[in-house]
Amino acid sequence: MSSEEYEIILKNVTYKYPGSDKPALKNIDLKIRKGEIILITGPTGAGKTTLCSLINGLIPHFYGGSLEGDVIVHGINTRNSYIGYLSTIVGLLFQDPSSQLVTASVEDEIAFGLENLGLTIDEIDNRINWALDFIGLKEYKQQPPYALSGGQQQACALASILAMKPLIYVLDEPTSNLDPIGSLNVFKLLKKISLEERKTILIVEHKLEELIDLVDRVIVMNEGKIIMEGNPREILGGEAEFLNSIGLEAPQIALFAHEVKKLGINLQNIPLTIDEGYECFSKIFANIGEKVTIPQENHQLEKTEKELIIQIKDVWFQYPNGCMALKGVTTNFYKGEFVAIIGQNGSGKTTLAKNINGLLRPTKGEVIVFNMNTKMVPIHKIINYVGYVFQNPDHQLFSRRVYDEIAFGPKNIGLSKEEIDKRVIEVSKMLDINNLLEEKPYELSKGHRQRIAIASILSMMPEVLIIDEPTTGQDPRGRREVMNIFKKLHSLGKTIIVITHDMNIVAEYAQRCIVMNEGEILIDGTSREVFMREDILEKAHLKTPIITQLFKKLSIEYNIKPDVLTVEEAINFLKNILEVK
Amino acid sequence: MALEYIPGKSIFHKLDPRTKMIFFLFILIILLAIEDTIIVALILLSIFGLYKLAGIPMKKLTSIVKPILPAFILFILLNYFVSPPREAKIYFYLVPGMAPVTLETTLIGITSALRFILFICITRFITLVTPIADILVAISKMGAPPEFAVALGIAFSSVPVLINQFQTVIEAQKSRGAKIEQKNPIKKFFALVPVIVPSIFLTVLRGMDISKAIESKAFTYNPAKRTYRKTISMKKIDYAFIVLIAIITIVISILRWNFNFFRYDSTLKYLIEIIKKYS
Repeated sequence: MSSEEYEIILKNVTYKYPGSDKPALKNIDLKIRKGEIILITGPTGAGKTTLCSLINGLIPHFYGGSLEGDVIVHGINTRNSYIGYLSTIVGLLFQDPSSQLVTASVEDEIAFGLENLGLTIDEIDNRINWALDFIGLKEYKQQPPYALSGGQQQACALASILAMKPLIYVLDEPTSNLDPIGSLNVFKLLKKISLEERKTILIVEHKLEELIDLVDRVIVMNEGKIIMEGNPREILGGEAEFLNSIGLEAPQIALFAHEVKKLGINLQNIPLTIDEGYECFSKIFANIGEKVTIPQENHQLEKTEKELIIQIKDVWFQYPNGCMALKGVTTNFYKGEFVAIIGQNGSGKTTLAKNINGLLRPTKGEVIVFNMNTKMVPIHKIINYVGYVFQNPDHQLFSRRVYDEIAFGPKNIGLSKEEIDKRVIEVSKMLDINNLLEEKPYELSKGHRQRIAIASILSMMPEVLIIDEPTTGQDPRGRREVMNIFKKLHSLGKTIIVITHDMNIVAEYAQRCIVMNEGEILIDGTSREVFMREDILEKAHLKTPIITQLFKKLSIEYNIKPDVLTVEEAINFLKNILEVK
Repeated sequence: MALEYIPGKSIFHKLDPRTKMIFFLFILIILLAIEDTIIVALILLSIFGLYKLAGIPMKKLTSIVKPILPAFILFILLNYFVSPPREAKIYFYLVPGMAPVTLETTLIGITSALRFILFICITRFITLVTPIADILVAISKMGAPPEFAVALGIAFSSVPVLINQFQTVIEAQKSRGAKIEQKNPIKKFFALVPVIVPSIFLTVLRGMDISKAIESKAFTYNPAKRTYRKTISMKKIDYAFIVLIAIITIVISILRWNFNFFRYDSTLKYLIEIIKKYS
């Protein structure tokens, strides 16, 4: 194949960011053909985003640093070109949608790039309408981007790239803020573009399950290197266990299949999708037979025995702009619970949580927290009982020392110096940051900053900890690490309320689950109960983990347990029935 | 919120942004020329009339005027300290031995306070009836480099984002027991540090992100040949409006500087004479 057929060529590329000794990319060799769809995956720090920045010339032209080797994009050596020109060829979508929206309305946002290209006004208007149709944001044309939900912002950012009609799309986690249905639509759209227009597409993603049938090739990166490359079935199926071990979220069905193999059951190939899984495992369960009786487990929470600590009584909440965010919410929280509040952006979950710690006060109804009515008591009294960890640690870190950061809360509630010192040390040990107390918070990694933010709330020793979207923007390993912190705190007796839209998190960690939609509670029960109600979850644009879907489907025909929430549970269940047999 | 635009179909919405800028300049000259307290008050009333004509809700107008009323009173009071009495008739002193109250100083004080309100009301009026995008196009049409107009546009559209961010930081710190509402100004300053530091940090980060984002959307491709989707054009009505306001301005200036019209007390004295005549 002649070199002109390659749209992107990376020749032995090594790159260091300015001021860093450690290369972010090491000896990367990569050739991408025109019209290929490539999935790039890997844990945080693998160099995926750095690779994206190479392709439109942000590296080296924006970042500086030292670049060795050559990057040839559409026949142009990026070193000899400039970002403005390269971005007419390469459309780059950044990870965080809110930080790339710069104008006052959705249509202006899409027009921005087109104006830079110097197109005629008619052409610009045509393309705006085309892109908005494609992405489904037509009725938001005049809205300011900041007023959109995270998912809509991401769609808007994508539309602004689509409208520029580049030859190459580089998309850095294009669906991180989208619900499962929205993600699927974006992936379908990309497939269409690649087929019809023969565009080259690079997608950086953690959602591997959804991309199996879309991409031509998978590239796995780790610590600045390409460690694996091949067709999606080989890698996502064959190497599922390896992917899992480096902290990625391998397809659950493939993982389950590998475990099944270990039990000595012969499988012809590794299934990846629900349909394949159904076909493959049907045979096994058919062989095992239908006579297996499943012990009925009792999943009911023993609410009556637990101490009632938070009462939400018919709470309505209206923001000053007139938006009614809560419409008659009633629920209780008990000591020692691990509760997940799930729902889409704008479903009212954050508003509900802020009503619990007194940041917001109900427009109508009452919130009683540890026998205090939040309407009567100032917030600095409530925070002794209910701690609230914000999503982004950078919204609260301000001290020059980690120690001062953790001590800030206790100081505010007027504790003695000795007591503050005791607490800082205790809390920092609990979160494994006791060796960082003299460091500067801003110079630490995101994971550490998040721990400091949690510590700075824990140091006020609240009984209840509310955590807002702790896993957004993290890779699967990072998600597990932060959730394990809360698991530990829960085992130490804290009551945990976590706000999330990640169903796998709920499946793995939460005992109880509250599903919210449009300011109301749709369902409130044990996670197991909730996960069996797919009809209700669908209303809230949520989907159960794929392993749950598989077992539910299998349970219709075979006498097996339908409420399997994790791969681990699935495998334990299978082991059990094999033993019984 | 600052620089809000209220859509409408009034003549002021239809005028070219450049016309509105010229209108603004002429009004400034007129304000400078006229010292007559009563006439300035009448101009203020007619500006309120413009709000009504442009279909801006009265609620909006009161929300603009209300917060500046303390400044209005302050203007009048401070004026006694800075403008020396030229006519002898001193009624009393505001502070013993200082700040003499005379008819003239009172009138000057009221006029400058009224001018202050007028200035704010007109500025806000123009931004309320002109979309920011139009102002930016006008700026670049008047010869400013495209980078300047685009940067200004991004800055304006970032304001609500930054306000949101600021509020989140305040909430985050309140959740850690920070007492941000302090009365003592020194204490208040220190109480704000935990809010200001993360805000600055986040704003700098956002600035970096934005510059990456606009570069990646081919902003540096060929700025000189950039298209502006918004087009503005001067129409007949614009020229007519400019001619009208120019004539008014010139007439007023001549009357003021050549014939000594519109002194502080011109209208007042005239009114007093009329009252004397008929009583």
